[in-house]
Amino acid sequence: MSLKSLAIIRVIAPALFISSAFFSALSMAADLPDFSGAWTTYRGNPGAPGGAFFMGPELKLTEAAEKARQDFISVTEGTNHGAGNSCVGSGMPGSMLGSGGYPMEILQRPEQLFVIYEAHNEIRRIYIGEEADDASNYFPERNGYSSAHWDGDRLIVQTSRLKTQVDSRYPHSNEATIREEYYFDEPLADGTPVLAADLVMTDPLWLEEPLITTKRWQALDNYHVLTYECTEPLWLDEMEGLYEEAGLEMIQE
Amino acid sequence: MDNETGKTMKLIIKFIALLTLTSATTTALGHHSAAQFDFRNTVLIAGTVQEVRFANPHLRLILEVTDEARGTRDIEYEGHSRNNMRRQGLMPDMFTVGDQVTIRIAPMRNGDDGGYVTALRTPDGEEIGRVTGAD
Repeated sequence: MSLKSLAIIRVIAPALFISSAFFSALSMAADLPDFSGAWTTYRGNPGAPGGAFFMGPELKLTEAAEKARQDFISVTEGTNHGAGNSCVGSGMPGSMLGSGGYPMEILQRPEQLFVIYEAHNEIRRIYIGEEADDASNYFPERNGYSSAHWDGDRLIVQTSRLKTQVDSRYPHSNEATIREEYYFDEPLADGTPVLAADLVMTDPLWLEEPLITTKRWQALDNYHVLTYECTEPLWLDEMEGLYEEAGLEMIQE
Repeated sequence: MDNETGKTMKLIIKFIALLTLTSATTTALGHHSAAQFDFRNTVLIAGTVQEVRFANPHLRLILEVTDEARGTRDIEYEGHSRNNMRRQGLMPDMFTVGDQVTIRIAPMRNGDDGGYVTALRTPDGEEIGRVTGAD
């Protein structure tokens, strides 16, 4: 082999090495479960944990948390006031535990799981492996910051950076953390895939005991999850007011 | 490009193509307190559509209704989110302003006007929608 050929190989070899590592990562990822698809409430076995009529477990709240919850109830009970009515999503763990009534969609890449809950278009980006960053670099949010790693064929997701929430079925402080373990469960008799997730929420400030539960979904075949437009009517009301004030006809629907 | 260099380049290109091919083949809620609505004792209401907002988080429907007890007035009804209305088979063009419609509602427990839309009755008596609780 000539010197020229050796020089070309010297330049291209590192690129090939990087490419092969990349393709090998893809191949490894191809061996892992792919949770992509649309999912709805598990109905295969009514009454099964995490299935139809899933209500979630009762929370064992600390005294301070119970007071915060009661205060919220006292100002909203019997009214239509609530996060959902104001087009605000549930936040974790409500978004995950409540999903299925409204379907959810998962898009999976080797480095990221993207979960779209139809209700309120809530989105979770779950960063896998080295793609995950230090959660403290991000703003606290209702769905927090989620990182994950594979343990065999199970995806272990850790969520932190949650906001203190009383307007949820699962109230928690901003110290709460959530662990989810996603895996394929036994499919239905007709072969429909079943996705399950074991969830543990711990909260040193608001929970006497961790919240522990399992949620299940069944796959929807050829299903289009809908967009959940919720705030547009508020804007249209505002716009209508502006047009009325100006004596103009509003054309927009 | 001499002959040897050309052969080396071809080999490399074939290798890259193979890697690419391999990679291509291996990567193959509730918003609402439902307590105010009586879903166990639904009733039919007939009226003229005055206003409709087929939206999320909830349907808002205003009908002009006339009855002996309270005369003619506009009554506002709520319903599922538009996403869930669609899943029930209830679409926006079924509620056009000016249309006469008959709806089934879960009435207010306290007897006030209003309620939660559970179905639409078509002129031939068919009911579209089987809502059993607020979403």
